[in-house]
Amino acid sequence: MGAKRKHSEAIEESAEAEKDHKERREEEKTSRKRQVLASTIKNKDKRSAVYAKLKQEKKRDKQKKAKAREAAEKRALELGEELPPKKAPRTIENTREVDETVCKPDDEELFAGNDADEFSGILKQEVIPKILITTCRFNSSRGPAFISELLSVIPNAHYFRRGTYDLKKIVEYAKNKDFTSIIVVHTNRREPDALLVMGLPDGPTAHFKLSRLVLRKDIKNHGNPTSHKPELVLNNFTTRLGHRVGRLIQSLFPQDPNFRGRRVVTFHNQRDFIFFRHHRYIFETKETKLPEIKAKKTTEKDKEKEDASAPQGKTIARLQECGPRFTLKLVSLQHGTFDTKGGEFEWVHKCSEPENILPKKSWRKQGKVHALCLQDQRYCRTVVVSVKCAASN
Amino acid sequence: MPRTIAVDCPGCPPIRALTFDTLGLIKVVEARRVDGNQGNVSSPKVVERWGEPNLSNCILAASIDDRRIDPLLALARKSGLIEVINPLNGDIRVSAKSDVGSDDDSVVGIHLFRRERSESSSSRSRTLLTTTTKGAATLRSLELADSSAHSSISDSLKTWRVCSSGDVSCSAVDGSECYALYGGKGVEVNVWDLEKCDKIWTAKSPPKDSLGIFTPTWFTSATFLCKDDSRKIVAGTNNHQVRLYDIASQRRPVISFDFREASIKAVTADLDGNTVYFGTGSGDLASADMRTGQIGYNLSYERKLLGCFIGKCSGSIRSIVRHPELPIIASCGPVILGLDSYLRLWNTKTRQLLSEVFLKQHLNVVLVDSNFEDEGRTPYAVTEAPSNEEHEVIQNLDGEVEDGHVLPVKRKNASKDNNQNKLKPKKKNKKRVQAEGDGRCSPFFSCSTAY
Repeated sequence: MGAKRKHSEAIEESAEAEKDHKERREEEKTSRKRQVLASTIKNKDKRSAVYAKLKQEKKRDKQKKAKAREAAEKRALELGEELPPKKAPRTIENTREVDETVCKPDDEELFAGNDADEFSGILKQEVIPKILITTCRFNSSRGPAFISELLSVIPNAHYFRRGTYDLKKIVEYAKNKDFTSIIVVHTNRREPDALLVMGLPDGPTAHFKLSRLVLRKDIKNHGNPTSHKPELVLNNFTTRLGHRVGRLIQSLFPQDPNFRGRRVVTFHNQRDFIFFRHHRYIFETKETKLPEIKAKKTTEKDKEKEDASAPQGKTIARLQECGPRFTLKLVSLQHGTFDTKGGEFEWVHKCSEPENILPKKSWRKQGKVHALCLQDQRYCRTVVVSVKCAASN
Repeated sequence: MPRTIAVDCPGCPPIRALTFDTLGLIKVVEARRVDGNQGNVSSPKVVERWGEPNLSNCILAASIDDRRIDPLLALARKSGLIEVINPLNGDIRVSAKSDVGSDDDSVVGIHLFRRERSESSSSRSRTLLTTTTKGAATLRSLELADSSAHSSISDSLKTWRVCSSGDVSCSAVDGSECYALYGGKGVEVNVWDLEKCDKIWTAKSPPKDSLGIFTPTWFTSATFLCKDDSRKIVAGTNNHQVRLYDIASQRRPVISFDFREASIKAVTADLDGNTVYFGTGSGDLASADMRTGQIGYNLSYERKLLGCFIGKCSGSIRSIVRHPELPIIASCGPVILGLDSYLRLWNTKTRQLLSEVFLKQHLNVVLVDSNFEDEGRTPYAVTEAPSNEEHEVIQNLDGEVEDGHVLPVKRKNASKDNNQNKLKPKKKNKKRVQAEGDGRCSPFFSCSTAY
């Protein structure tokens, strides 16, 4: 992608600069008689000298452009004209393809759909959520530790040992016992790596990949959560799929938080990764040196303002992280309860489709270069040497 | 990493499709030509929306009779209501509560007969066939009058039970409308004669495989392979198998093959009488030639260019419809969100995704109105029927010349050819399978003995 961006920027350059550049290049050409690609020069000293020159040129170019831009701005200011438009940097966020499925607040069908979906009972506080937490068949080390922390995060959650029961049997059992959700923590090599969240009795099943798990004891200056019902923050669940996953997560928690507990659970979605954090917060009024320093600098008007708004100083919120920290990524969302064979999927992550590969073009290029490097004789030799060493050892 | 390059879909030819969703809404999607421009076609859009969103209104099945004059659309709702509406403007012609409104018994299939059955005396009476999960098939007669108050649906003309146990999950009526087939969880595919109302054929489950494992019967979708021949049946199973049954030859499947790993949720036959399209629960759509049982997702096969339809389909496919004239299939990914609850249109020849429409709800059924031809004229829905009659008659004639007489003959020839050709490729297949020693393909062996 980097190469592309450079290319587009080059196009955007003002015509003059380009001309200058061309002229200079032509001069170079004539001086050297023929153009030599810097990377083809074999002598390292000479190559680095050429590179240094190129770099310097680039820098000079950039400075020139900046100067020209500044001058244009100044002139525009003096003449009272409109300022030349500022270039916005290209970011992943602003080049993202427009998604037509983003939920809009004026969409009546969305709300009708919400009223009719599986979670509406819980979210309208007609049903109190009751969660069953279980594991995969083999479970040890970090798995149980993670579960004990999940139990402290989610109120009214109950851990059941998995034993050798089928998941479908467990679903049946949980339905009979009026559970509203099931969470299955899947571990691989003693490390939790997947989370299955299931709505009951007929809610969807979401399969998440779980990564970057940090347990409470590994977090520096962590706090210990109280047993109050936590507040819930769901960020950026905007598309229809996001909305549905958000509602699934929301249905795990009671809808009437104890604000006294000052406990907050955050699910933050950023580029389809859901980041989980669990905090305690506190509002503190600070009567430290800070306002005094400000008072010296500020004028009288500001002083008055400060007095009016915060007579005892500044109120700040402090956060203390407690409880696990992990990242989730949705793998599939299935209609109905757990049924991998005959189930209908509402959404499946498909990585083999061509449009998913497209944006990674530049990566592939890099891969190719890398492969060429590996074919280089020098590398071959080192590999051989290392193998020999291993053999002798 | 989010996708930053838009994947553009080429527009699709003029088409009118009706979608039915779980909230009981009917949405009309139309693509029109822009200013009579030949090539340039606008992307399809939702033109109309009928009904109020309510979960109990969920539409389970629908059937269209898209004749040029007086078209009708029958649909069954979750609440047990059966409605007949006008597909052009959404007016309810008849609506009646059926007696099967109980919780665990819902309608799975509905069929509105195109042909007037012999019993019906006046030209304005039609026949409806409904099937429920528990296996109660009912023929109802439909009296149509000018106002909805006078028209009615009679309770039942005939009722019979398709199965004693198990759940029926799919039903289909053949092109001549004499036979109906049923299949489901624990219900083998069976064919009924609609005139005499008796069972004429039942399938037999495939034998145990080499490991002695027997997979229980669970059909999820079924259809007749070609319009004129009611003897060949294609069925998709929950065990991700697509099977071809031939009533004339044997009770076990003639061809059966696996497709990926999710259950087959929708099967639709092409007009040529040998291609089928099928979609799975995880959003894979493919076509296969039923003469060879070959899915061409390996495109190195040169014999038949068939294969998977690549698109952004990421939700289960609940319904596939083949447009009767244009090379288009419409599939609707049912379920939701983000990436699904889309209606997608594919070109059947190039297998290219033509366009897609986001419809916000879990979709259940899609139907195509084949009479929709937009040539700079105002659409049917807006114009009144009488003023348009002349146009329609002319088109009617043209249409009949096109598809009423010529095409079926072609199709017949094609199907005959198929029968003759059938033996050769299959033998090749058999050899291949034997070489691989795949236990699951055992139906091949049994079929070879029958031939």
